[in-house]
Amino acid sequence: MNDFISITGQGIVCAIGNDAAQVLSSLRDGRSGIGPMKYLRSKHADIPVGEVQLSNDLMKEMLGVDRDAVYSRTSLMGAIAVRQALEQAGIADTAGKRVVLISGTTVGNMDITISNDNECGASTRDIAALCSLEDAKTCTISTACSSALNAIILGCEMLRSDEADIVIAGGSEALSRFHFNGFNSLMILDHEQCRPFDSSRNGLNLGEGAAFVVLQKNVPDALAYVSGYGNRCDAFHQTASSENGEGAFLAMSGALTMAGLSPSDIQYVNAHGTGTQSNDISESRALKRVFDSNMPQVSSTKPFTGHTTSASGSIETVICILAMREGFTPANLGWKTPDADGITPTMGQEKAILHNVMCNSFGFGGNDSSLILSDRPVMLQDVEPVFGTKVAAIQEIGPDDDMSELKAFIPAMELRRMGPLMRASILTALLSLKKAGLERPDAIVTATADGMLEVSRQFQKDIIENDEELLKPTLFMQSTHNTIGSAIAIRTLCHGYNITYSHGDESEYWAMEDATRMIRSGKASSVLVTVFDEAGPSAFQAKSTVIVRK
Amino acid sequence: MDELILKLKQQIIEVLNLEEMTPDDIDDDAPLFGDGLSLDSIDALELIVILDKYYGIKLASPAEGKVVFASVNAMAEYIREHRTR
Repeated sequence: MNDFISITGQGIVCAIGNDAAQVLSSLRDGRSGIGPMKYLRSKHADIPVGEVQLSNDLMKEMLGVDRDAVYSRTSLMGAIAVRQALEQAGIADTAGKRVVLISGTTVGNMDITISNDNECGASTRDIAALCSLEDAKTCTISTACSSALNAIILGCEMLRSDEADIVIAGGSEALSRFHFNGFNSLMILDHEQCRPFDSSRNGLNLGEGAAFVVLQKNVPDALAYVSGYGNRCDAFHQTASSENGEGAFLAMSGALTMAGLSPSDIQYVNAHGTGTQSNDISESRALKRVFDSNMPQVSSTKPFTGHTTSASGSIETVICILAMREGFTPANLGWKTPDADGITPTMGQEKAILHNVMCNSFGFGGNDSSLILSDRPVMLQDVEPVFGTKVAAIQEIGPDDDMSELKAFIPAMELRRMGPLMRASILTALLSLKKAGLERPDAIVTATADGMLEVSRQFQKDIIENDEELLKPTLFMQSTHNTIGSAIAIRTLCHGYNITYSHGDESEYWAMEDATRMIRSGKASSVLVTVFDEAGPSAFQAKSTVIVRK
Repeated sequence: MDELILKLKQQIIEVLNLEEMTPDDIDDDAPLFGDGLSLDSIDALELIVILDKYYGIKLASPAEGKVVFASVNAMAEYIREHRTR
């Protein structure tokens, strides 16, 4: 039997509004949320940001929790968005239903943890508790800036494979001194309002916020329907995008193929469009490769909201739903001058008929995803378990193991930046693939509870000791949870599905479930699962498992 | 080897973790990016931190680095002209 995926509820809080209605009116009026920082504490206060105009105290009041209760800004914003989404979907009682809450985040509870130990899953569990979803299964995805879109994609997959009845998926990310200083060390923060796709663009503005959608199967008269998606990897560089936008091209093409749509069927694309030199030219080229002479209206809404990093995929999904339902296209605010080779974005259209819209969301490490939403139900093929799975190889490495073999695989110029955890993880991946007789897997799935603890701790320490100056971009670049997944993709030139789970002790469980689902449904014939964590410079463990079709 | 050039090479080796290299391995005139040392965009940012940290020079954008970081010699020349410490 074929099913369709309905979006029955949406919730959003970001710099241009604390709910969907406010966001809609800001979009239509061309009102940007970029301005001076109010809640974020940084000495670089001259750099503008897109903050949610709510204090933590006010959010606690809105949620009816005690002022002394300890919740991170990420959890509070997330809970507000989830409650809005559940209310709109009319879901009050979830008894007897299999409910799953999937959140995308990288910052997580960083603002309330004492050290920089960053277990992303804690914020997702807090959101569940704040929304009376204690009985729901929870999951956290951390693929940097594409986290929330990948959360929505996972939600759809779980519905299609009949593992859930109701999925609440999206992402939440608060501004933090950690990633604000990180992006500043990469010298990609514009000191004015960002200008995606403009020849004068000079970087991005960081924003914050949360958005979640309720996904259910076969509900008619829904807000919108998911018709296709693609998750691919650029496999090019940890922070830069490839010249021809290969990962983005593959993600968009994959989404179109799944939806059974041609490029001319898409009326609007909400681009990732960060405003950095690298992203915008790469995305422009990818868009031209996909759409050629059928280029739809394209805009980046980041001049409104700022780049809400891990939450951007769901925030922009909600913006796409609003545009489609209300019949308009949002402007690429601030755009004036065309860029050689770049696309010409739309400055907004008041009346537009949108049947199919695409939302792009790309992350560091080339974790590129694309989602297509439609205004009418689109039947999707079942994700049926038709194949068996088998473990082809397992490789584990700990601190006492010899890692000199790595030199045979990786040139010294690439090895030089890698700490022990990354070396161990990549070596397990390469050795397990070799054992399995594979040059590269079809997909890469990684899992980590705390992520890149050592580099993150060092970067956090430098922020404090150097007073937010002279920070090492190399440390920040390696601090994201998906660093290892993308490093393996770069090494093996694997452009396939690439994802990172960071949900405490359950990270590995979610990774194995995903790998199994991919093999069983025939989406991949081999999946590399790499699980890694560290507790100190000489306390780390990495394990890679190659799962193949039986 | 010129004192500034030697110092600079040591700083580059340390900051960029060029573990197996010595100052003698880096040609004064060879390009740091592209065909020479093959450094990348993140290394360029690390070199900007070197200029700031040890020589008190602030570059406004990575684009300026293209000329400044052409070679170790070019970098040393830029430092001699612009250093504040």
